[in-house]
Amino acid sequence: MNEDEFRRLCDFIYRRTGMVFTEARRYYVERRVTERRSATNTASFAAYFARLRRDLDGEVEQFINAFTVNETYFFREEHQLRCLSGDLLARRIEARPAGRPLRIWSVPCSTGEEPYSIAIWLLENWPMVDAFEIEIVGSDIDTRVIEAARAGHFGRRALMRLSEPLIAKYFEPEGPESWRIIAELRNSIDFTTVNLVDAAGMRAHGVFDVIFCRNVLIYFDDASRRIAAENLYDNLMPGGFLCLGHSESMSRISPLFDVCRYADAIVYQRPREPRHG
Amino acid sequence: MPLIRPKAAGAPASSPDPRTAPDVAALKAALQHGTPDARRAAARALAGVPEAAGLLAAALAGEEDIRVREAIFTGLAGLGTGECADLLLALLRSPDAGLRGGALDALAAMPARLPARLPALLRDDDPDVRLLACGLARVLASDEATALMCAVLEREAEPNVCAAAVDVLAELGEPQALPVLARCAARPGAPAFLVFATGIAMRRIRAASDRAGEAGA
Repeated sequence: MNEDEFRRLCDFIYRRTGMVFTEARRYYVERRVTERRSATNTASFAAYFARLRRDLDGEVEQFINAFTVNETYFFREEHQLRCLSGDLLARRIEARPAGRPLRIWSVPCSTGEEPYSIAIWLLENWPMVDAFEIEIVGSDIDTRVIEAARAGHFGRRALMRLSEPLIAKYFEPEGPESWRIIAELRNSIDFTTVNLVDAAGMRAHGVFDVIFCRNVLIYFDDASRRIAAENLYDNLMPGGFLCLGHSESMSRISPLFDVCRYADAIVYQRPREPRHG
Repeated sequence: MPLIRPKAAGAPASSPDPRTAPDVAALKAALQHGTPDARRAAARALAGVPEAAGLLAAALAGEEDIRVREAIFTGLAGLGTGECADLLLALLRSPDAGLRGGALDALAAMPARLPARLPALLRDDDPDVRLLACGLARVLASDEATALMCAVLEREAEPNVCAAAVDVLAELGEPQALPVLARCAARPGAPAFLVFATGIAMRRIRAASDRAGEAGA
């Protein structure tokens, strides 16, 4: 891929997904393109780019999948969990009315690795954890993954980022390569079904201090992405935070949120006060 | 353990009962006279009512709260009707940059409505409208966009509109744009920025087509 092809591809990726790639990540982009050209048996970059632009056989989704590690495991994108315990919750407890629990939402939560990770991370890493009541909700559009999340069975691959002491503390072995998360954690997290573009269904979940909504909006078309952003805004308390996947940007989707740069992550905040245009 | 199971969570995700029609008159009153929160809630509720498109668009003119504006734009894009597209296109003539930008973003989210409307928009009397319309061509298939942008370059006298068309071609233009771009750059008195931009567009299109030729050889 030459420089001009690289720029064309980056322009397309940005407009379609909001993901930004600079020259520094050119090798990474080229690797993904090579993988997809091989998978689609496409002879040239030009032919592949044409395929991508026309979204033949759902190529845009396949291409995005190549960029986002489309699997879930415990402590994935750990830097955001550090940001949660290091910065976000401190801001939220400043603004929190007395007696109200801190509410955290993982949506979509797939088979539960993310909401359980949030729980384990806070229990292990947030010094204030015993001073507050914390509600964690995990939601997904897919009822099958919600059932799996409630059941809490996981294989070795899902636990690859966890230390042996953490596994021993929060999981019960079921076999040589399978574990079940302990009942106390399973019973602490509520799992529900929800569609991000269904305003009424989203509203039924109430408002949250922090929402993790990672690696899903990039799959939506522009209209659906805008509706999801409106819904997520309504599900945040004023001053609440939205965490997207590392390759996603809300700035491309909606002007409703403020960008907050912390040491470990860039997150999006619902402004405390309405703004004027 | 400090983790608690939410008391009210687990509420089934559900859409409003479709048999319960929204009270459009009350929502209209809220949209026009309510607090910012009430106006935004009304805008979001009316986004499910196709007949309310005109009402939503009319509310944009006097609306200063960016959240309410965004809800209206998202609502119109979500409804996605031809009427919504026409209402948004009218906003491209607004003196308010926020309204023009919001309308453009919303229109880009309804690509199915653009092919029928862009040719006329690209011939609009107002060069600002023609310039903004060029940007909308990006959501079309590359052959359609190439044909439209080439037609713009062949007839357009305003250098900034030409530059907008060249910018689109640099991104997704096909080889048939090359002679059109060459003629654009060779025009007597063509401004330096346009010649420069045209050169980049031609280089990018050539690079892509050369590679395709090599692969096919």
